[in-house]
Amino acid sequence: GVALGAWPPVAMEAPELWVGFVGAGRMAGGLVRGLLQAGKVPASNILASAPSDKNLDAWRELGCRTTHCNLEVVHRSTLVFLATKPHILPGVLEEIRPAVGSHHIVVSLVAGVTIQTLQRLLPPWTKVLRIMPNLPCVVQAGAMVFSRGSNAGDEEAALLKSLLSSCGLCEEVPESYIDIHTGLSGSGVAYVYLFAEALAEGAVKMGMPGALASRIAAQTLLGAAKMLLETGEHPAKLRGDVCTPGGTTIYALHQLEKGALRATVMDAVEAATNRACDMAKD
Amino acid sequence: AGVLAAHKITASSPDTDLPTVSGLRKMGVNFTVSNKDTVKCSDVLFLAVKPPIIPFILEEVGPDIEARHIVVSCAAGVTISSIEKKLSTFCPTPKVIRCMTNTPVIVREGATVYATGTHADVEDGKLLEQLMASVGFCTEVEEDLIDAVTGLSGSGPAYAFTALDALADGGVKMGLPRRLAVRLGAQALLGAAKMLLESEQHPGQLKDNVCSPGGATIHALHFLESGGFRSLLINAVEASCIRTRELQHLADQEKISPAAIKKTLLDKVKLESPSLSVASASKVSLFTNKSKKN
Repeated sequence: GVALGAWPPVAMEAPELWVGFVGAGRMAGGLVRGLLQAGKVPASNILASAPSDKNLDAWRELGCRTTHCNLEVVHRSTLVFLATKPHILPGVLEEIRPAVGSHHIVVSLVAGVTIQTLQRLLPPWTKVLRIMPNLPCVVQAGAMVFSRGSNAGDEEAALLKSLLSSCGLCEEVPESYIDIHTGLSGSGVAYVYLFAEALAEGAVKMGMPGALASRIAAQTLLGAAKMLLETGEHPAKLRGDVCTPGGTTIYALHQLEKGALRATVMDAVEAATNRACDMAKD
Repeated sequence: AGVLAAHKITASSPDTDLPTVSGLRKMGVNFTVSNKDTVKCSDVLFLAVKPPIIPFILEEVGPDIEARHIVVSCAAGVTISSIEKKLSTFCPTPKVIRCMTNTPVIVREGATVYATGTHADVEDGKLLEQLMASVGFCTEVEEDLIDAVTGLSGSGPAYAFTALDALADGGVKMGLPRRLAVRLGAQALLGAAKMLLESEQHPGQLKDNVCSPGGATIHALHFLESGGFRSLLINAVEASCIRTRELQHLADQEKISPAAIKKTLLDKVKLESPSLSVASASKVSLFTNKSKKN
């Protein structure tokens, strides 16, 4: 293998940081857009690899460098994001393993692949972290959780957190929470889309044009979420604040309760979490 | 509660065999079979008869009502204006207060609201509040909210008893002896209610505080949600409130038949026990009436 020594220079300052992506799919794209939007890393410092040009075109448009060679990404980066499909990963790890050094920070975005597996397939000195983002990272409103492997220390965790906070909420958690995060927020985004669609449909039924209803539905969700995050109040309290006695809201909420919406949502989170656990075992 | 001396309380009922009657007598309350006597020796009159009886009672005691009397009706669905209308043929400015309370006044944890009528002064309301605050929570409301209060705290104890029965069943199913299960269930609800009343926090927050991640409680709550627990309770309060309004409508049209009135009634009795004294002199009367011949 190639002895890498101290090249590229190991630097924790973002402008000097060389970031690589093995795999250039949707999730990776979301992260890189977030990083670029926040100005954390210049595009020219980012190198992405993918088997075909299909995804890479978009990266080049952003100003990033691209390649078809995974090893090149590892050679030219300090911080390496693994963003392949789960079944591809073992093969990729075998490929890049010789090039991975103690200066590398390897961050896996790959769903269902545990830190234990990653560490098993990489050199024993590798600093490994595992992250589960969600799609709104693309618009810098993501929710991400990450866990560290045995060799990843406070510095690596702090770096990751500082970089990715540009994409949204980024918290370190025990690895056992990652599947839960999938059920809550990874898949959770889809639940919200479903809810938004239903809200709009209700409005359409009552006579509002669809496009307007959709925009208002989305803004309603955004506004409510923003209030939740900014006030730090319990959602039940905020809900109560909206409910004037005998008013429209409480009538509507009664309908939601009749439909056992809460339980259904809990069921959904549970199902997605369990499925994530099951898939990880495969 | 020690707000009133028993001898200052007079109660009347035509049926002296009621267990409530002997109970009152034991406490030292003056007892009579004459509603008129009760009115004469009282300043504050609680009308504690069933709603359909109210008009008959008012007809009977109307002539004895004087300006000093404060007539307090606890009858569900009976409006202040209907009482004032009936009494105005006898007394030009009858002081009427309408209240809605609930059975736990018996253990001095009642929930009472009241609305003052046209001629009731602020002091009159405050007097009632003082009396009822001695047996629990008491506050003034606008009359149009009283039906909702009926649905919530009027009927509320029944919802709680039902819940407690079921909780105890759950305990028994999982191996607890019945008595212990009942005791623990009741204490759990009592404690939770007390925590909520003494806390600034939203019940949702208090609930969260009990739910450790992945723990027993959150699993149980999921079941409650799946069963539409919350909506059932909302439905219950709504149904009780709506029914109260229906009954009020029927009463307004005086559609209740005398036969219905003659049925045995379960009387709601307010009990106040001796010792401390209250600001102004008041003798309190309790009417109970089983049946009335027309």
